[in-house]
Amino acid sequence: MVFIYIMRIPRRRLTAGLLLLPLLAGCFASSGDGSAETSDSAGSGDGGRLRVALAFPPTQNYSPYGYDAYNLSRLGVAEGLTRLDANGTAAPALAESWSSEQGGESWLFTLRDAKFQDGEDVTAEAAASALTHAAAAKPAPAAISGVKLTAEAVGENRVRVSTGEADPVLPLRLTNPSLAMFSPKAYGKKGTVNAVGTATGPFELTEVTGDRSAVLNRFDGYWGGRAQASGIDVRYVSDGTARANALRTGDVDLAEAVPVAQAASLGRGTVHASSTARNTSLYLNTGSGAFTDAGLRAAARAAVDGATVAEGVYEGSAEPAQGIYGPALTWAAGKRLQPSGRAAATDPDGRSITIGTYNDRPELAETAQVLQQQLEKAGFEVKLEVRTYARLEGDLLDGKFDAAVVARNMMTDTGDPVTVLDSDFTCDGSYNLAFLCDRDVDRLVATARTESDPVQRQDAAMKAEAAILGTDAVIPLVHLKAVTGVRPSVRGARLDPYERELVGVGTRP
Amino acid sequence: MWRAVLTAALVGAIGLLPWLSRTDPALTVLKARSADRDPTPETLHAIRAELGLDDGPWALLARWLGGLPHADAGSSWVSGAPVLPGAVQALGVSLLLMCGALVVAAGTAAAVCAPTLRLGARGRLGARRPGGTATAVLASLPEFLVASVLASVIAVQLGWLPALGWYGPQWMVLPSLALGLPAGAVLGRMLDDLLPGAFAEPWARAAAARGVPPRSLARQAVRRCVPGLLPNLGLFVVGLTGGSVAVEQIFDIPGLGRLTLHAALAQDLPVLQTGTLALVLLAAAAGLLARIAARLLIGPALRDGALESLHRPRPPAPRTLPLLYGGLLTAVIGAGLPRDPLALDTLARLQAPSAEHPFGTDALGRDVLARISHGAVTTLGTALAVSAAALVTGLLLGLLPRLSGPLVDTLSAVPPVLAGLLVTGIAGSGPWTPALAVGVVAWSPLAAHASSLLRQERATTHLVATRALGAGRWYLLRHELLPAVVPPVARHALLRLPGVALSLAALGFLGLGAQPPSPEWGLLLSENQPYAERAPWAVLFPAAVLALLGALAVTAAGGVRLPRRRARPADPAVPPVGEGVPAPRRHPERPEDLLTPVSASQTDER
Repeated sequence: MVFIYIMRIPRRRLTAGLLLLPLLAGCFASSGDGSAETSDSAGSGDGGRLRVALAFPPTQNYSPYGYDAYNLSRLGVAEGLTRLDANGTAAPALAESWSSEQGGESWLFTLRDAKFQDGEDVTAEAAASALTHAAAAKPAPAAISGVKLTAEAVGENRVRVSTGEADPVLPLRLTNPSLAMFSPKAYGKKGTVNAVGTATGPFELTEVTGDRSAVLNRFDGYWGGRAQASGIDVRYVSDGTARANALRTGDVDLAEAVPVAQAASLGRGTVHASSTARNTSLYLNTGSGAFTDAGLRAAARAAVDGATVAEGVYEGSAEPAQGIYGPALTWAAGKRLQPSGRAAATDPDGRSITIGTYNDRPELAETAQVLQQQLEKAGFEVKLEVRTYARLEGDLLDGKFDAAVVARNMMTDTGDPVTVLDSDFTCDGSYNLAFLCDRDVDRLVATARTESDPVQRQDAAMKAEAAILGTDAVIPLVHLKAVTGVRPSVRGARLDPYERELVGVGTRP
Repeated sequence: MWRAVLTAALVGAIGLLPWLSRTDPALTVLKARSADRDPTPETLHAIRAELGLDDGPWALLARWLGGLPHADAGSSWVSGAPVLPGAVQALGVSLLLMCGALVVAAGTAAAVCAPTLRLGARGRLGARRPGGTATAVLASLPEFLVASVLASVIAVQLGWLPALGWYGPQWMVLPSLALGLPAGAVLGRMLDDLLPGAFAEPWARAAAARGVPPRSLARQAVRRCVPGLLPNLGLFVVGLTGGSVAVEQIFDIPGLGRLTLHAALAQDLPVLQTGTLALVLLAAAAGLLARIAARLLIGPALRDGALESLHRPRPPAPRTLPLLYGGLLTAVIGAGLPRDPLALDTLARLQAPSAEHPFGTDALGRDVLARISHGAVTTLGTALAVSAAALVTGLLLGLLPRLSGPLVDTLSAVPPVLAGLLVTGIAGSGPWTPALAVGVVAWSPLAAHASSLLRQERATTHLVATRALGAGRWYLLRHELLPAVVPPVARHALLRLPGVALSLAALGFLGLGAQPPSPEWGLLLSENQPYAERAPWAVLFPAAVLALLGALAVTAAGGVRLPRRRARPADPAVPPVGEGVPAPRRHPERPEDLLTPVSASQTDER
């Protein structure tokens, strides 16, 4: 009986199953840009299209007030009144020139003749409104957090930006991609900003496919001339190995942040390492635990060796640290002072310490293991805690670890060397991983903060650096280089130490 | 009803996650938005106000639930975009990927079973030596390793198929292979275990005698056995849809696994709740489909209790293979013990195997052999403990199918990282938290297996006879049911041992479990994965040892045991392991063999 039943063959169900398959085909990611198939000739007009793989997908639909602003800036979509040049000073962008008024309490910016990508002129009115919107954003963009910023139009082409109290680095702040200019059309009701076709850069965001990919076309009306590439197809690939693979299979022309482990398999002509303002450092917890003892901090400093980390872990895509400011900040080299007032090392005598670090950057876990061996040789007893950063930061800021290995961009938000000292090494600092509260350091940082002349500000920052290093609260290990994968045929990729530029007017596939 | 309670509890627990784990969601959301941003109090305050976090978990949960009837699953806390369109799209991608993987799995399973089918259909099974090593090796390969190798060899070096993205059928091939090969090996193993029993059934002999061609006979034998695999197939479907994070990452596929992983890390609760709810629904649907399919395939026979027991015609012979594998494993571990697993030498990094370093060195110049052998103790110790606990729990809960069935379905839908976070939230993070987090999920396939075995066992003739002789419930349980159920479930647990070891290590990135520089095996594999192409030995040797462990478990399962005195009937989730259960020699002319066991429905509600 069983046998007889079984003999009926269920062909109908098979057919039905096959008919369902095309329905499922709707489940493929819409390629949108067609970037997977795009060949160089697919671009409109002259110049091919550039295919770029970025590491960090947009998290807030290209809102300029978060990290997405950096993507917009790197892709040449948006720009602000000023931009950061290679020397770390403010250079003209949408503003041709500027000058301070009332002892630095406000600044007057003169706009150049430029157009938004939707055809509107960049007027003083529009620029002031863009800044006002940015100042009203919640949470406030990092570059102007804690600053009361107001902007008003003065005549046709001048904007006055005031800050309540004197702010000598305002032009530097305005280089931040979060303070980019968008056409009045871009600003929605609930504080949202639509960056599609409303910015001023050489490339125009035309089509966005979630956080997967985006299509950019050349903006022919760009004030700085027509871009060489006719457009950009962007894909967001968060896995580093996958980015390297995309470059190797020829799926993309340009891939940012190629992991150290993959750089060797890409070949010499393809890998470009450029110095950045990012350091990997060992922060010692001066607030609690073993490293409240300056002698032990000194012992730790004597024990660790950044050169081993640079060679053994970063395989040369980092160089041994010279201080807090690395070689990417060209001005720092000639001004470095010897750290003063360092304590004499005491014998750790088997003191047990815990080092926390995160594995979002795989090199950090390896660095921590190298440090572990070095510190154990010196007589410490070392335990490691490695987690993903999101799970680590809370404990990090609560001072649960005796030390932390952290990669930190020293210039991220304002391009001002003092800001990072303020947040990282002063008593009230918001990211004071060393829990340093030293009167001397606070005083020097406060002095540096008020310095308005750029050169003197840098001098003051170097003085504060020496004082901070003197406390041994932080042991800079290496200065990182950004490893960008660029196909040999690509010309003019912009490898920027501040990680704000990648594609520019002169970049072509 | 029970299922609804479980689902509600799960969604509620997710809603409470940040409060349970005492991790401020404003902080994790800020970091997900922009990793470099300093968490100043003002910034966090602004985010809290934006998300309405100060209302507390219950209000947030109520708001989210209130939107569901209007097909509104809220907005992502990170991006502010509506959750539902993104989740539906990711689910679609994942389902498609899962279908591809199932096709590959079916192919793999067919390849695994082909010899048995060929011989069985011609009535020559008796001549066959049990194999299984290759299958066991394939089954214990970690998906991410298969994916890495496929991506770098086939896509990058040979350029045959695209490596990256999800744009059309050719993008499906490699990820489907990576997921489908190990899954197919496990399923094939289970099917291969059942087939000899089917070929020994009277209908098969009758058909052969009547001159039915071997091809038809083989087809019907497959059809006879497939219903027994369906519950496990259901678990695979759900697991592959929500849990293929590593493969999605390597091939850059926008699937549900990554969506829920990122949401869990950022504590983006609306996304996490929606994703998990979708998986729970999928699990329920898969369970339902499995029941319907079983009914369609062998329904009338089930209803009339006309099924034979799918036991093997003869017990597998004890084998020498396990001794060989065991010896090899011991030799490797023994050879590495005198070496130092922690000594770094960055000058000797990524060195190929040599006399000095027989298994080469890893990215920090440590001896891979030393790390493998020193890691063996901790890896196997914890994994064994977890497996044993899972076995006991699985057996106990398997006795209560009505209780455990929905629980198994619901648990299979919980992404591992979420399980880790929830357990940490509830139990705190102690040394046993990772073991607990893995154990909480690990028992479920065993329970499903145990309960289906029990269902079958309860309906066999010998049990009816024992009961008729006046045996009480406890006697039946202790002397008849448990002895029949424990061995196959224990072998099943053994087969999952490598998987347990890997899942323990996979929680490491949450700060649970083994921390570097511990040479735990899962950690070894994951820390060397980025170097898989430059220094293949650093991943291949640990993977090989893991595979050896799998092979040992599989071959030892049947071979070292003595034949049992009693037959064991069909079971829907026969151990993917082993050579099945030894049964007494069957003599067709003996009358009791022609009696049909009274079989309870295989399709109880689960």
